[in-house]
Amino acid sequence: MQMTKSDKQEIIFRFALTLLVLLALNFLLPRMMPGDPFSTTSSDVQGEEVVVMTQEQREYYTHYYGLDLPQHEQFVVYLSNLAHGDLGQSIYYKMPVTRVILLHLPWTILIVLCATALSLLIGVTLGMISARNRKKGSDRIMMAFLISFAEIPSFLLGIIILLIFGVYLHMFPLAGAVTPFAHYNSVFDQAGDIAYHAALPILTLSLAQLTGVYLLTRNSLISVSTKDYIRTARAKGLGEHIVWTRHALKNALLPVVTRTGFMIGILMGGAVLVENVFSYPGIGSTLNSAVVGRDYPLIQGILLVVAVAILVCNLLVDRVYRHLDPRVGE
Amino acid sequence: MRIVSFLEDTAGSAKKIFSKFSIEGKIGVCGIALIVAIAILAPLISGYSPAKITGGSLEAPSSTHLLGTDELGMDIWSQICYGARMSLFIGLAVALIAGIGGGALGILAGCLGGTVDQLLMRSVDILLALPSFPLLIVISAFMGPSIFNVILILVFFSWAKPARIIRSQTLSIKTNTYITAAKNFGATPFYLLRRHILPEVLPVLFVSIISITSYAIIAETGLAFLGLGDPTSKSWGMMLHYATGFKSIYFTPFWQWWLIPPLVALIFLLLCLAFIGRDLEQVLDPRLRQAGGA
Repeated sequence: MQMTKSDKQEIIFRFALTLLVLLALNFLLPRMMPGDPFSTTSSDVQGEEVVVMTQEQREYYTHYYGLDLPQHEQFVVYLSNLAHGDLGQSIYYKMPVTRVILLHLPWTILIVLCATALSLLIGVTLGMISARNRKKGSDRIMMAFLISFAEIPSFLLGIIILLIFGVYLHMFPLAGAVTPFAHYNSVFDQAGDIAYHAALPILTLSLAQLTGVYLLTRNSLISVSTKDYIRTARAKGLGEHIVWTRHALKNALLPVVTRTGFMIGILMGGAVLVENVFSYPGIGSTLNSAVVGRDYPLIQGILLVVAVAILVCNLLVDRVYRHLDPRVGE
Repeated sequence: MRIVSFLEDTAGSAKKIFSKFSIEGKIGVCGIALIVAIAILAPLISGYSPAKITGGSLEAPSSTHLLGTDELGMDIWSQICYGARMSLFIGLAVALIAGIGGGALGILAGCLGGTVDQLLMRSVDILLALPSFPLLIVISAFMGPSIFNVILILVFFSWAKPARIIRSQTLSIKTNTYITAAKNFGATPFYLLRRHILPEVLPVLFVSIISITSYAIIAETGLAFLGLGDPTSKSWGMMLHYATGFKSIYFTPFWQWWLIPPLVALIFLLLCLAFIGRDLEQVLDPRLRQAGGA
């Protein structure tokens, strides 16, 4: 598969086109929503403190946020602000959207990256065990179980995990990312507390992605294990373990690398729901509260960050893949 | 007469396909049949209306309320029965519209080629590259929560996959020499479509319709769970939404009969669909059959 220059241009063109569609959608959608950001200006989520605005105040704020301009002018303003890294002012949190996102994004990145690492680790290990015992009972049982397991969507899995480990066994906290009002004696204490709170969301997300990695590793290993160089390695007298890890696994992991990029994308999407299950203060919970509060700029910002992250991941994977496999590319 | 023989044919081939299913596939078919029966017979077997207050608040399961009641005193078993209607209806409606529509577009793109094909595949590429779930949340928030809107949005996001699969199938069928031969014998495009392309494409389309059904059910549940479902409907996802939204549900025993039933019902439904989908794929796709499912 030769990667020509026009292929490269094609990929970048597709990336740009998708980005543009996304920006347009991102701009238009919140504006078509029913209601406006000033219909419920309350200071807390429960909506117990509803401030009703007078007509003058409403007009003042509509003008202040530029919502009275024609749509196309708003779009131009939106794009030029975006180019300056300005995502606007969150109406609900009353601070710049970039800051709201920066406050919550690290939590999402934390659980997504940990979940990716964990599912890769477990998936590749299980895949190798399965491939080495191919056609034996343990392989069949493992495969049947994991395939069925993959059909459970991540947030339902999250509720089950929350019920088992949080509610029934009291092993993990039910919500949040840190213990409220906690004082830490050391950095390790703090890290421990964060890990303790992140454990269940990470477990949920990684279990949801496990099967994909497992199947890919297993199938890829099985097809690699019939190659000539594996026979050569065995003929050289290498031990079975080294043949499988050094020779087979190294070559079988290429498709897994591609998968990782897509996985991060899927996990970002899945995190939106899973965070809501565990009330984890990441970007997914924020998106939900922004939708409830009709906080246009915040919704736009979050959608943009999530979408661009997913697109860039896919683009990067393409690069990494070509770097790893010299047969692809110039 | 033709309709009768057609029905007999369909029943016959369905029986043949069923006999080739694995045990899991058979469990899947029976499970779906059970859920469909519950959905259809809901008024008979539920005993209560799902939206009427028929008991005390949060009663534990008993002989009067099989699975207890929710916070407003509505019967949970009857909510499960009527919820099955919602999940199945949304799943099937989305899958049929998106599957048949996407399939038709795919065949069209494959047969016509040229600009139509380019344009269609470009949109498919973009649609598949967009992060669907965050967008789903935002779009359904803006369209307002109603069953119709949820179906519309889900169709918009799920027609691309079958379109792409069917297009590539159509293209590969078109290269066969028997198509050229048929053309030389004066076959019209419509004849080719009916006689050669459709029979080859339909099994694949059927498998993707089943996978869209589960996708739609999952997506509807996810949206409802976030509170973006139809508030007047009692779908299983809405039940999850109300139960998890109830303050301190995890500190009380209420989750045992309020949260577990919709959870179990959903997972059961999704597993059944997955079993059927996997077996159908193996029975209908000749290439997989040759590989022996290895």
